[in-house]
Amino acid sequence: MGKLHLNTLTGNRQTFFVAANLSAFFKSPMNWQTTDRMQNMTNILKKIFFIDFIKGLSLTLGYEVSKSVTMRYPDEEKWLPYQRFRGLHTLNRDAQGRELCVACELCAKTCPTKCITVVPMEDDTGIGISDRIAKVYEINLVRCMFCGLCEDACPTTAIRMGRDYELACFSLDCAAADKKRLLAPAHPFPFQEGIQKSPLLGGDKGVGQEFEGGYVVGARLERNKQGISIKPDLTRKKRWW
Amino acid sequence: MPDINTLIEVALIIVKVIVVSLILFTLPIPLTWIERKVAGHIQVRLGPFRVGPHGILQPVADMIKLMFKEDIAPDKADKWLFKFAPLFAMVPAFAVYAAIPFGDKITIPIINKEVTLYISDMNVGILYILAVGGISVYGIILGGWASNSKYALLGGIRSSAQMISYEIALTFSCIGVVMTSNSLSLLDIVKLQSGTILGFIPHWNIICQPIGFAIFFIAALAEINRIPFDLPEDEGSLAAGYHVEYSAMKFSFFMLTEYLAMVTASVLTVILFFGGWNAPLFMPEIPIFWFVAKVGFFIYLFMWIRFTLPRYRYDQLMTIGWKILLPLSLLNILLTGLFLL
Ligand code: SF4
Ligand code: SF4
Repeated sequence: MGKLHLNTLTGNRQTFFVAANLSAFFKSPMNWQTTDRMQNMTNILKKIFFIDFIKGLSLTLGYEVSKSVTMRYPDEEKWLPYQRFRGLHTLNRDAQGRELCVACELCAKTCPTKCITVVPMEDDTGIGISDRIAKVYEINLVRCMFCGLCEDACPTTAIRMGRDYELACFSLDCAAADKKRLLAPAHPFPFQEGIQKSPLLGGDKGVGQEFEGGYVVGARLERNKQGISIKPDLTRKKRWW
Repeated sequence: MPDINTLIEVALIIVKVIVVSLILFTLPIPLTWIERKVAGHIQVRLGPFRVGPHGILQPVADMIKLMFKEDIAPDKADKWLFKFAPLFAMVPAFAVYAAIPFGDKITIPIINKEVTLYISDMNVGILYILAVGGISVYGIILGGWASNSKYALLGGIRSSAQMISYEIALTFSCIGVVMTSNSLSLLDIVKLQSGTILGFIPHWNIICQPIGFAIFFIAALAEINRIPFDLPEDEGSLAAGYHVEYSAMKFSFFMLTEYLAMVTASVLTVILFFGGWNAPLFMPEIPIFWFVAKVGFFIYLFMWIRFTLPRYRYDQLMTIGWKILLPLSLLNILLTGLFLL
């Protein structure tokens, strides 16, 4: 026995392992001691020739030449969300252009963050579908958490969540969306029977609701008097993964 | 009245000093950009992309930012040392280049004068570089001490211990090269590496001194505080280490020093082990080109390693330095001696 061992320390360890490795010893064609030593040898060789180091370097080199996953928003491309996305709300009109909202205040009642203000008023000039319309309709976007409960509560499908998510702005004015902003542009909800489809629904950036989302589309950053906007270019679209 | 030739010589030296310092001052500007690009691409990102095409003007923007930032000195800092520490670090980084040859002689066509591509050919060049390069650690230690901050101080202390441990291995690994080339002058060392062994292997020191090269490279990584040995500025545990209290231009001096140290390490690796400006196998000799290409490769390698390896623990650092590199470098000297005999 002693002849095989390099020193007493490994000797003890090896005697301990004899029992543990007995079955492996008979099964494997190679003596377990040689396997152990070969393991040590390969480990030392690995260290001498920096094998692990080179492996690591080649891995990072592979990543370096691979294509990056960065989305170049907003200069080159932007994410167009799915149809189910809950972005900035829109207030809709019907086919005749009448406001669908009847100012029932159900959305305001159901809103968990109490961020919708609805002030009803009577009006029989035909602005709305009934003689009750919203005098004030305001959503505080800072408090809104885009849960979509207002959408579920609305009996006339007047309020719907659109696909706009670029809501950052430079002043607090735009933190609250008033009726004018929510109504513009006029777009009826297309999935309602008997209501005309509009190419403009689903956000004021010109992406129709019928346009299926879940893409990265081309985009262009535009600065003008109205502010900064990112115009999508739907002809260039790709799945981002 | 000195004669006209002496005047021209003096003028040439002054021009060379100015050119080299200007290059060294501007070199970190592209290097920061390259480093961030390398980092980005290794992490499957793009790196800087907003300022200029492919973010190429990013370092300029950073420089403007650094210049106009408020220069803050901590209340309890040792004001005098605090101001001078960046200089202490920076001056040796520049001074090293007095002895570094970038190429042999070239003849400038118009004035038909032979110009040497080095500032001075010291007969103790390598000794000078190692000694002056070693001074640079004073800047780090003083910066850490003068900041009066525990993180900076720990960074400085770590740095001094690390420098002492690795300077020895670094110097010993150079001794092998010095022994084979029989000279301390870098010019002679490079000249001896021209030609080939057996006609197809370049006669570079990496072939004769592989162990020496491995030790030199690892020790150089530690000397210039790069990952995996960047414990003096260990972001994870020391915030930013020795320069944590520095801001604005003083901070950028430290950064400049670090990039210059990286360049110096690459230059030394190339000169000592990769044949300096000698062209690789059967390639045409172009002045400076091969030198720059090789140095560029090593700079890239340093960056590449930085974004591949994790940082060592401090005890591991010391173990590697004292228990592995030091005995190995002694062994290397012994083997070289035996071969020479
Ligand atoms: S999405 Fe939710 S939080 Fe926002 S207004 Fe509607 S109900 Fe309120
Ligand atoms: S949006 Fe719908 S729920 Fe809200 S007040 Fe108008 S009709 Fe009622």
